[in-house]
Amino acid sequence: MRKLYIGRILYNIGKFALRVIVLSVLVFTISRLAPGDPLYAYYGERVEKMSVAQQEQARERLGLRKPLFTQYARWLQGAFHGDFGISYQYKTDVKEVIAARIGNTLILGGLGFLLIFVLALLLGLFCAWREDRAADRIICRIGTVTSCVPEFWLALLLLLVFAVWLDWLPGSGAYSIGKEGDVADRAVHLVLPLTVVVLGHLWYYAFQVRNRLLEEVRADYVLLARMKGLSGKQVLYRHCLRGALPSYLSMMAVALPHILGGTYVVETVFSYPGIGTLAYESARYQDYNLLMVVSLLTGTMVIFCNMLAGIISGRIDPRMRIHSLTGGGEVRGC
Amino acid sequence: MDLLEVENLSVSFYRPEGEIEALKKVSFSLREGEILAVMGETGCGKSVLCKSILKLLPDIAKIKTGHIIVRGEEITDYTERQMRELRGSFFSMVFQNPMTALNPCMSVGEQIAEAVRLRQPGLSGKERQQRVAELMHLVGLDHPGERARQYPYQLSGGMAQRCVIAIALAAQPSVLFADEATTALDVTVQAQILDLFLELREKTGMSIVLVTHNPGVAARAADRVALMKNGELTGIGDVEEIFEEIIHRQNFI
Ligand SMILES: Nc1ncnc2c1ncn2[C@@H]1O[C@H](COP(=O)(O)OP(=O)(O)OP(=O)(O)O)[C@@H](O)[C@H]1O
Ligand SMILES: [Mg+2]
Repeated sequence: MRKLYIGRILYNIGKFALRVIVLSVLVFTISRLAPGDPLYAYYGERVEKMSVAQQEQARERLGLRKPLFTQYARWLQGAFHGDFGISYQYKTDVKEVIAARIGNTLILGGLGFLLIFVLALLLGLFCAWREDRAADRIICRIGTVTSCVPEFWLALLLLLVFAVWLDWLPGSGAYSIGKEGDVADRAVHLVLPLTVVVLGHLWYYAFQVRNRLLEEVRADYVLLARMKGLSGKQVLYRHCLRGALPSYLSMMAVALPHILGGTYVVETVFSYPGIGTLAYESARYQDYNLLMVVSLLTGTMVIFCNMLAGIISGRIDPRMRIHSLTGGGEVRGC
Repeated sequence: MDLLEVENLSVSFYRPEGEIEALKKVSFSLREGEILAVMGETGCGKSVLCKSILKLLPDIAKIKTGHIIVRGEEITDYTERQMRELRGSFFSMVFQNPMTALNPCMSVGEQIAEAVRLRQPGLSGKERQQRVAELMHLVGLDHPGERARQYPYQLSGGMAQRCVIAIALAAQPSVLFADEATTALDVTVQAQILDLFLELREKTGMSIVLVTHNPGVAARAADRVALMKNGELTGIGDVEEIFEEIIHRQNFI
C-alpha cells in the first residue's frame, strides 16, 4: 500500500518533469523558427547601421550561430545551474528582470483569482437558488453581456470614466513614484485593473456553478433531503453544493494559470509593470532567454494545475472513486 | 376523525406535449395506526399519489382539484414553509429507488444524522450518534460505526434501501409512505422489514401507506388494500374482500 503510494507520487513527478522538458523544447524551437531578428532586441535601431560582419560577430557572441541543438543543450545546461542567460533587451540577468515584476502580477492575478473564486461560487449559488426568477434572469443577462465585452474595451472604458473624466482613481502603474511600499497607494492602483480581471472572468465561472448546481437540484436525492424537512436553500448548500464542489475545485485549478497569465491585456492597458507585458515584449522582440523563462513559468503552472485538477477530482469526489475501486482497488488507504 | 383524508384529488403534469392526468379524483382515508396497501400496475400513479400528499412533485405538476386533510385540517393550500413542518415529522416517505435516493457525496451516517437532527434538534452530538446507531440497528444494518462512514456507492441495493428506511424512521412519523420499500430486498429481509413496520405500528401507532406490487406483502401486512388503475382508485376495502374480488373478476374474465 505504502509502496504503491510512493510509486504513484514518483510517477506523477516524472510525468510532470517530462512535460516541462517537452514544453521547453517546443518553446525553444518555435521562438527561433519565428521570423525576426534577436539583434534588434539587443541593439535596437543601431542594428541597421552595423555592417554584416559586425552583425555576425554579435551573433557569435550571443551564441546564436551554433546549431539549434547545441544552443538548446547549452541553455539546458545553464538552466540546471540556475543560469537562464541575459535578457537581450534589458541587458541583465533574466531572473532579475522577472523578479522585479513577478510580484506585481501575482498580486493582480492572485487577488483576481481569489475574488473570482469566492464571487463565482456565491453568485452561482444565488442564481441556482433563485432559478428562473427575476433576480436570476437579470443577473444572467448582465453576466452574458459583461462576458461578451472584450477585456481591453472594458479596461479602456473604465480608464476613461474613472481615471480621466472623474479622476477618482489612478489609471496607470502599480504605485505612485516614491511610494513603493505604501499599501494604500498600491491598493488604489489595483482597483481598476482588478475590476477588469474579475469582471472579465467572473460570469463564466459563476454560470458553470449555477448550471452544475441546477443539475444537482434535479437529482433524486434532493427529494429525500426535502422530505427530511430541509428548505430549498438548505438543500442547495448542504447537499447540492457538495456534489458540485469537486468539479468546481478542479475547474478553478485549471482556471488559476488562465487567470494569472491572462492579465497581460489588462497590464498593457493600465501600464501595469507585470509579467504579462514582459511576455508580450519578449515574444515581439525575439528576446529569447526572457521568452523562454516567461513561457516556462506560465507553462509549468498550467501543467501543474491541470495535474492538480485531476488529483482533486479523483480524490475528493466519492463518485469518482467508484471507477478506481472497480479498476485498481487501491483507493481506501490513501 | 381520520388521520388523513384525501378527497377528489386530481393531479396533472403539464408538459410541452400537453397535459398528463396522473391522478383522477382519488378519494380515500387513512385511519390512525392503519396499514393501507396501495396496489396497481406500473404507471398507474401510486408514486404520484404519495408525492402529491407530501407536495414533493416537480413544478410542472399541479393539484387541479381536491382536498388533503390532516386530522381535520385542510393542508391542500399549505405553503412550502408550512409543508416543511409536516415533512420529516408528521409525514415521512421511503422512496422507490434506493440507489438514487441517497446523496452520493455524503456518508450514510451523515445523512441519517441529518434527519435525526432536524427532528430532534435538542440532542447533543453524542446522543445523536447513539440515535443513528439505534436506527441503523433497527433496520438491520450491521456494524453501525463502520457502516455510517460508508458512501452510497459502497452499499448494495438492499443496504441502501435500509438506509433510506432508517432516514424515514428518524422522523418518527405519524404517516409513513413506503413506496415499494421492500422491493429491492430479498425475501427474508423483506419479511424482516415488514415485521419491523408491524412492530413500529404496535409501539408508536404510526400509520403506513404501503405501495407494493406484491400481493403477498399486502396480504401479510395490510389492514386494507386500495387498487389503482390509470390514475383512478378503483376499489378499497379489507384485504380478504379485495382479494376475493380480484379472484372473482379474473375468473369472470
Ligand atoms: N415527471 C413526470 N412528468 C410527466 N409525467 C409524469 C411524471 N412523473 C409521473 N408522470 C406520469 O404519472 C403517471 C404515474 O406515475 P407513477 O410514478 O406514480 O407510477 P407508479 O404507479 O408509481 O408506477 P411504478 O409502479 O412503476 O412505480 C405516469 O404514468 C406518468 O404518465
Ligand atoms: Mg412508483
